[in-house]
Amino acid sequence: MMQGLYVEGETWIHRLPAGLKLLVLVFAGWGLMWVTHPAWLLLALAAVWMLFWMARVSMRGVWRRMRPLAWFLVLIGLYVAWADGWLVASAAMLRLAALVLLGLLVTLTTPLSAMMDVVTVLLHPLERLGLLRAERVSLAFGMTMRMVPELYIQWNQIREAQAARGLESHPVALIVPMLVRTLKRADDMAEAIDARVDE
Amino acid sequence: MLIEFQSVSFRRDGRPVLSDLTFRLSERRIGIVGPNGSGKSSLARMINGLLSPTSGVVRVNGLDTQTHVKAVRRQVGFVFQHPENQIVLPQVLEDIEFGLKKRLPDVEARKHAAMQALSDLGIPELASRSAYSLSGGEKQLVALAAVLATQPALLVLDEPTTQLDLKNRNRLVHTLATLDQPLIMVSHDLELMKTMDRVLVLDDGRLLRDDEPAAALDWYRSHCG
Repeated sequence: MMQGLYVEGETWIHRLPAGLKLLVLVFAGWGLMWVTHPAWLLLALAAVWMLFWMARVSMRGVWRRMRPLAWFLVLIGLYVAWADGWLVASAAMLRLAALVLLGLLVTLTTPLSAMMDVVTVLLHPLERLGLLRAERVSLAFGMTMRMVPELYIQWNQIREAQAARGLESHPVALIVPMLVRTLKRADDMAEAIDARVDE
Repeated sequence: MLIEFQSVSFRRDGRPVLSDLTFRLSERRIGIVGPNGSGKSSLARMINGLLSPTSGVVRVNGLDTQTHVKAVRRQVGFVFQHPENQIVLPQVLEDIEFGLKKRLPDVEARKHAAMQALSDLGIPELASRSAYSLSGGEKQLVALAAVLATQPALLVLDEPTTQLDLKNRNRLVHTLATLDQPLIMVSHDLELMKTMDRVLVLDDGRLLRDDEPAAALDWYRSHCG
């Protein structure tokens, strides 16, 4: 069964404020765009790997989460290699891997409620301008993050149910029940939030 | 706590779900039974304003659930049949804190109240657990703790034991028996219904019987069984 995103821990990385972690992520993303030599990018990737070790996050769990993306990275690498050569391709793959892993580290070491609070603070100026309700947008963000593992579980349940009935796994046959169940789930959760939050 | 239904009807997609219900509830433990699709859950949802009657009025302590929905929801806690829909955030403690944000803006006070709610139900060890790793019974208890943390004056539970095995069902029943709050419970669990002070029997959106548990349940078994 797929676990939730946040992994409980007491390390210094877990204790860092969520806002600071997100800020580091933004600057790292911006900074890595300027690094082009694969050796430096490999070093950056090793540094991120070191941070995972410091956060005491299971490497097996990291690989399980990264595995679907690994194929995507390989595809991008092949395309860039075809277009611009292997040196540029390896730099692109290393850069993407380092960034995605850093993003995953932030997600794994930061409670969702803390990230939602950061989103609320960041959106406050827009709320003052009357453009949106910061808490509602942060709740939508939180719900999206919350539903990622749930959707994965739901997808597998539908696939299993169809396999149990001897049906072949066909994308359309999966997507339609997936959509219906997701909408129903969203409705039920909205009702529950209505009942719990007296806004 | 006084709940009043006055000539309440509710239609969904043109089909009558509840028809002309009038009653007053003031007992501490009230059960609602009836066949599937009889309108039990719709009735329960009206008590905290999750559903609006098509006609008629529902009042909780004199407050109309439609015009005073915020005040009503502060008084009435609702526990849903599927706790996974009610658990909004992925970690147990932060989920319980989620419902307290408006009531307790101070972070430490909120955390304390959330921990207290878990301790009161005897499940403080679940605080740091991921909601995805909880069993069905644990989820139901966490959903209940999240509602109790808000200190509602009345608790409405929609089929809280349906998804539980015997051990977890007994655990939940024991927990409910120790609560201070009056409660209204929709359930197919007739053993549990026996412990209520009053039982309403619904079928096809109509109130067919309203009596003390033994008489109401006998009638339900003979007419709807």
